[in-house]
Amino acid sequence: MSEHFTRRDLLHKAGRGAVLATLGGGAGFLVRKAHGQVVWQVDAARCLNSRLGEVGVAACNLCTTECVVALSAVRAVNEHSRCGRCNICPAYFNITSAVDDRGLPSEKLCPRDAITRRPIGKADPEDPANNFYEYLIDEEKCDGCGKCVMQCKEPLGLGSIVLRIRYNRCVDCNRCAISTACPKDALIQVPVEQGLRNDGVH
Amino acid sequence: MTGSIEMAHATSTRRAVAAILALFILATVAVPTIAAQSIPYQRPVDTAPQEKTIGGGYKTPAAQKPLPRNSWLQLLDVAVLAAALAISSWLVLKRRSRKALVALAAGSLAYFGFYREGCVCPIGSIQNVAVALTNPQYSIPMVVTATFFLPLVVAVFFGRAFCGGVCALGALQELVLLKPVRVPRRLDRALGLLKYVYLGLAIFFALKPARDFLICRFDPFVGFFRRTGAPHMLMIGGAFLLAGLFVGRPYCRYLCPYGALLNWCTRVARRGVTITPDKELDCGLCTDACPYGAIEKMRAVRRNCLYCARCYAACPRDGKLARAKAQLVTLSAEPARS
Amino acid sequence: MQYRQVAVIGGKGAGPGQFGTSLRGIAVDATGNLYAANDSQITVFDAAGRLRRRWSTSQPAHSVAVAGDGKVYTGQIHQIEIFDGAGKLINTWRDEALLGRVTAIGFVNGDVLAGDATGRAIRRFDLSGKFRNNIGRDNPLNGLLVPNGVVDFGVDAHGIIHATNPGKHRVERYTPAGELLGHIGHFHGTDAAGFGGCCNPTNIAVRDRIYVTEKAGPRAKVYNFSGELEAVIAADVFDANCKNMSVAVDRQGRVYVADTVKLAIFIFEAVAV
Repeated sequence: MSEHFTRRDLLHKAGRGAVLATLGGGAGFLVRKAHGQVVWQVDAARCLNSRLGEVGVAACNLCTTECVVALSAVRAVNEHSRCGRCNICPAYFNITSAVDDRGLPSEKLCPRDAITRRPIGKADPEDPANNFYEYLIDEEKCDGCGKCVMQCKEPLGLGSIVLRIRYNRCVDCNRCAISTACPKDALIQVPVEQGLRNDGVH
Repeated sequence: MTGSIEMAHATSTRRAVAAILALFILATVAVPTIAAQSIPYQRPVDTAPQEKTIGGGYKTPAAQKPLPRNSWLQLLDVAVLAAALAISSWLVLKRRSRKALVALAAGSLAYFGFYREGCVCPIGSIQNVAVALTNPQYSIPMVVTATFFLPLVVAVFFGRAFCGGVCALGALQELVLLKPVRVPRRLDRALGLLKYVYLGLAIFFALKPARDFLICRFDPFVGFFRRTGAPHMLMIGGAFLLAGLFVGRPYCRYLCPYGALLNWCTRVARRGVTITPDKELDCGLCTDACPYGAIEKMRAVRRNCLYCARCYAACPRDGKLARAKAQLVTLSAEPARS
Repeated sequence: MQYRQVAVIGGKGAGPGQFGTSLRGIAVDATGNLYAANDSQITVFDAAGRLRRRWSTSQPAHSVAVAGDGKVYTGQIHQIEIFDGAGKLINTWRDEALLGRVTAIGFVNGDVLAGDATGRAIRRFDLSGKFRNNIGRDNPLNGLLVPNGVVDFGVDAHGIIHATNPGKHRVERYTPAGELLGHIGHFHGTDAAGFGGCCNPTNIAVRDRIYVTEKAGPRAKVYNFSGELEAVIAADVFDANCKNMSVAVDRQGRVYVADTVKLAIFIFEAVAV
């Protein structure tokens, strides 16, 4: 080929310029409206298990089954400042099970035994069982099945347990697999500070 | 020159097809997202007992807040991407070393594939960028923008350097290719059109309110990167790898939507694999060596070149001999064109 | 004993007999007029269910009660407003410390009782508004267990105050001086005679019997003073999401229950079985 600057070379240079301009323009436009780091989180106002409305239905466990991580990155989290600390907690006990001789339901609700409780505060010596209790959810055992969330929900409970994505387990997929499956579009991308709140409020 | 006119026709047909697809995509633009309907969530915040109500010195336990991956590590990912692109271009165009390229591919597979588990990759970022460009309420972090545009900018100058040693999906297929089988040219061309269709479909579904990211959902290799996945996706990935033992990089050549974009950028590339007519021997060893159909009639088709550097390795006048080129020239005279 | 529903009054919306966006407390007076505390209003219906009167309160009203002399007391946050029968404001009792969210008002022996949900106790005031004593605070837990956020009580003919303690699944009996006499009720998840869920019963009215309402599995029940269940008044007619349904009983034994989601007052009558 000759060393002359041919028409083809001109077209190439022009094409290159045009492509670079397009890429640059696109990149500039996107950078101008760019936001910071976002993470996926469950919107408690839309999630079937925690929003008002559905009562007496089975808990939705799509968060457990759809997550690409082996043991789902979703956990039930108890926001203690909103917890009623009730003795007969519908999320801890299976309140429709038979009542034992202490007056408590005989079965626990969590299929993986992830909720534990301990009595807190001043005890009533005449009524020691009827006390405040702190309910803790073991995140190694919980798989986000949502049963306790559904039971804790208003009006049965106070709604202090909500499903949250835990970021030490979430791999931050481009399009969260749970978000594709969620029937209520409850999985949203939010800034990190909002995603870290455990009370489900945005 | 008839050959080049034929090629020009075929090229312009494909360009037309691609342009029509692009116009179609842009025409079905910007469907606004619909907010989900829900009953407003009310919480009687002040009815739960607080610390002083509970008494006994009880303190509400601090909330556990496991932090996500540090944001500067995401910048590191972009830096590694840029470095890998630079190294890939240099290795193939200057060093021309296949061994080094294989090492780079293995490194990219380890970092972008198994460590980062394939996310966010430039291929998937097409969907994010498409939505961000058309939906005023959707925006993406700068890291994702960089991940999308860096390989394209490099392609404008150096061609598909991304495909060679950087893309984790490509690296995986590159490393399993044992015995390349030549795909007939017409079939190769026809199958190559599939990636434009996939690109169109991916953008179309990403722009819908359901925001279905097909590329992520149907990524055949992400199951291997995550070491877990739906059985049918793992089997499809396995099938691609099995096919990839013999057919060179089937996903890259026939399905990768990002490859479609890289093709367009490579057409105006400044540099790339070149077979210099006055230095080549017409031996055809490079044509035989290239598993991707990037060398036709002794000329490089840059937009198909996946930067594997096999041609350099096969060339008796290049590759290993590159450093001895000067010596070769002085030792023997310029071979005459026969 | 069985009950049947005889009427439904009110509803959601801004219409003349409707309750706007919230319905929190109800009461009946000696002549059978029905008073409802909704939004920031008091709405009065006559015994036939026709709208008689409506007036505004300065804050959203959480509870309402009618004294023997016809004065209407409404419980709000940090205050109780007292109106005459025509709706004119006579007096306002304000107390930041002793009155939080006043979710129930009652009368005993010439004194006024106010259920303070924030303080988890019943406060006893004399007619001039001077504080006399607390009821329900004299226990190791420093008050009634009300995670549902409502303190409710009823006063029987002997001047005994029956207060719900939903966290303990029982109704406790107190003297006006605050001494605990005893309690009835126990937890049970499936037996209708027990109180289910985490905090039930939520609301109470007392006349010749004890009438209670529950949430989450909403229902209204009636017990005798020994704690035996006499009847489940109604269950399925209430919205499943309602909570803290205020209940009232008139001279004829008709039971009024306020559904807090449908914003309607259901009226039930006993039928001879």
